[in-house]
Amino acid sequence: MIAFSIKAISEQEAVICLDGDLDIDSTEVVEENILPEMESYSQITFDFSKVPFVDSSGMGLLLNIVHALHDQHKSIKIINVNEDVQIVFDLLQIPEIIGEDIFL
Amino acid sequence: MQSIISKGKTLQEAIDTGLYLLNVSRDEVNIEVIQQETKVFFGLKSKEAVVKMTKQLSHAFTPAYEKKAEGDVKEKTDAFQLLDQMIDVLPEIDRAPADSLQDTWKAELKKPLEQAPPNELAGKVWVQNGRLFCQSSPNKYPVVTIPEHVKLFRNRELVQEDTIIVSEQDFYEVTVAEEERDTVWEVKMDHNKLKVELYVKPGYRMTRSLVDIEPDSRIKLKVDEQKKVNNTLSYTDVMQVLEERRVKHGFHQAEIVRATETEESGLFTIATGIEPIPGQDGWLDIQIDMDSKKGPREIDHNRVDYREIKSIPNVESGQVIAVVHPPIPGQPGRTVTNEPLPAKQTHPIAVRAGKGIAIIENKVIATEPGRPHLEQRNHIAKFSIMSKLTHPGNVDLSSGNIRFKGDVEIMGEISERMKVEAEGDVMVHQSINRAHVTSNGAVIANGGIVASDISSGKNNMMITELGIALEPIQFDLKRINQLINQLILSPGFKASDFSRSGLQPLLHILLEKKFKHFPSLIKKYKEIIEQGEAYLIDPVWREMDEKLSRIFLTLSNDIVSIEQLKGILSQIDEMYEYSQLPVEPNSYIHTPNVLSSRLFCSGDVKIFGKSSVNTKIHAGGKLEISGALRGGEVFGRMGVKVKEAGAESNTPTFISVPADQQIQIDYVLEGTTIKVGTRKYMFSESRRYVTASLNHQNQISFV
Repeated sequence: MIAFSIKAISEQEAVICLDGDLDIDSTEVVEENILPEMESYSQITFDFSKVPFVDSSGMGLLLNIVHALHDQHKSIKIINVNEDVQIVFDLLQIPEIIGEDIFL
Repeated sequence: MQSIISKGKTLQEAIDTGLYLLNVSRDEVNIEVIQQETKVFFGLKSKEAVVKMTKQLSHAFTPAYEKKAEGDVKEKTDAFQLLDQMIDVLPEIDRAPADSLQDTWKAELKKPLEQAPPNELAGKVWVQNGRLFCQSSPNKYPVVTIPEHVKLFRNRELVQEDTIIVSEQDFYEVTVAEEERDTVWEVKMDHNKLKVELYVKPGYRMTRSLVDIEPDSRIKLKVDEQKKVNNTLSYTDVMQVLEERRVKHGFHQAEIVRATETEESGLFTIATGIEPIPGQDGWLDIQIDMDSKKGPREIDHNRVDYREIKSIPNVESGQVIAVVHPPIPGQPGRTVTNEPLPAKQTHPIAVRAGKGIAIIENKVIATEPGRPHLEQRNHIAKFSIMSKLTHPGNVDLSSGNIRFKGDVEIMGEISERMKVEAEGDVMVHQSINRAHVTSNGAVIANGGIVASDISSGKNNMMITELGIALEPIQFDLKRINQLINQLILSPGFKASDFSRSGLQPLLHILLEKKFKHFPSLIKKYKEIIEQGEAYLIDPVWREMDEKLSRIFLTLSNDIVSIEQLKGILSQIDEMYEYSQLPVEPNSYIHTPNVLSSRLFCSGDVKIFGKSSVNTKIHAGGKLEISGALRGGEVFGRMGVKVKEAGAESNTPTFISVPADQQIQIDYVLEGTTIKVGTRKYMFSESRRYVTASLNHQNQISFV
């Protein structure tokens, strides 16, 4: 399961720190709890420093979220992706799909 | 030449004694050290110094003793130079009346040359006892060429040039290189571990000495070489390496010994394994004569002997058509490391029973009478019995369309908008008129073909076409499979959801970017299937389309496992391989005349009557038109032969063949276009007897 904490920097800006594996079990938490929390912010940063593993469902979810938020003209950043997870992202060309500028 | 041997406690003492005995100065002798003195240690025996001293004929240079008499050299060289300078001024002195002192000098200098007249040696150089001698002459300087392994020092400096001019004014020393090489050897094992080879290059010691050369104005120094081979390789050395490489089997002891004794470089096979004996793939033993004549035999231009076609073999029910032999396994071999080496896998022949065939044990048996048919590709053989439907009248609205899994013979004609589809041959005694005929075998229309679509051997063509479409799918699917394997091994990846939701979430991501074009490849394959489904005998082609579409096009929620994906991949490999195998085309189209039709055939097409008018013809084999080709587009994969091509009405007539084939036309009318490979040519005037093909410059050329 995944846990998360939200740190509001300003009224528009928030950092969401994910803690745990981004996998098929996390999809519910993300969809039901995290997504509603993001409604009010226009600049959202996902901190991946505590995400050691991803699976394909988790990555599919991530793509969906980024696409959805993009459609709402919100700015997204993903930071602190650990090396192992980055290798997986690169294999699947995730940065090319969602835009390389999103990864910091 | 006067020489003495002189001894002394020290070298100096021996030399001094010698000089005294010869009554000469040190400058006038060659000194050769025969034995160095040995110092006395604790009263042990000592050796005396021994030198050989030779009175010089001319100015000679004595490198031999200098190693030990280093200090004397400078002084000696100076003396030489002094002497040389004096010689240089001698000719002038000769011309002018000499004063007595100089005369004395001259006399003294000439003394050592007495034995060789100066005019003979002047300007010459020679080698004696390992030393270089020369004598300058005013108008000629001797030349020395230095070969390999020889070093010439001029005034203690190494001469770099290969050829030099020598002069008495300089001081020369010659040394020859000694060479010593160690034995080099290496043990090599081939990748099959079936052969161990030992390469040996024995070591040697090369002793060289300078050869005497007669005085000449130009000499090349020569060395005498003595090579002593010293092969240090021992049997134990070899055995030790063999043990390290775990070689346990198949030694050739005699070769090892030979290698250790060899004086020449060489490669010795010191151990060999046993090669596996290949087995034999399964095979078919056909019990009946299955060769059929390729259609009816032509008697003359417009008549055909139909009795010939009846000679196609027939079997009775219960008759054994073929015996299937299982593969004979090979015998495993053994490596030199004593590991078994399996023989190449042998393949059994897979026999499929089509209509009217039963396979009992290893026998293929006909269960109904008819024409036996065999389609064989690689290890798959499909037998079927073509039963024959004889339709006594016309195919028209009253008879309905004919679809038959076998041969069809129609005594009348096929009329408007009717269809005949047969898995075997179709023979029509009268004409085919505005109809569709599809056959996996031959189509024979004795009454000609008008405004119809004829397809013969479509199955084969479809398979070839599908194979082409499968190739990129196979390529991408392999990459997808590799990527999945790579992901599973990545430490940051969890494969946990594969068991719950299958590969679909991952495939979604892959199709998004990395394999964006993959679905379009499947769509292309699908299109071909949809167009020609009716002609495909084997259902695997359609089934593959369904599988691929379900996974990659509709992205259904069915769970797809890695094993399933691998299964599909191996099936595609098999199908692709199958599509690449050539089949003996047993399809052909024979008709006397054709008008405004489309003929499609995987084998030969023969229009043996008057003409082919405004017809599109595709022949996978040879296209032969015995009459006129007026208008239309024709293609012959194995070449085209036409009696008369082109139309006076200027209806476009287009003939094409692949780059490696030729077009033969007896009479070609102006305006006809031909194409060989990618090159086109339009005849601007009528010509007779034309054979067109591509030349080396890739241009159409005529013979």
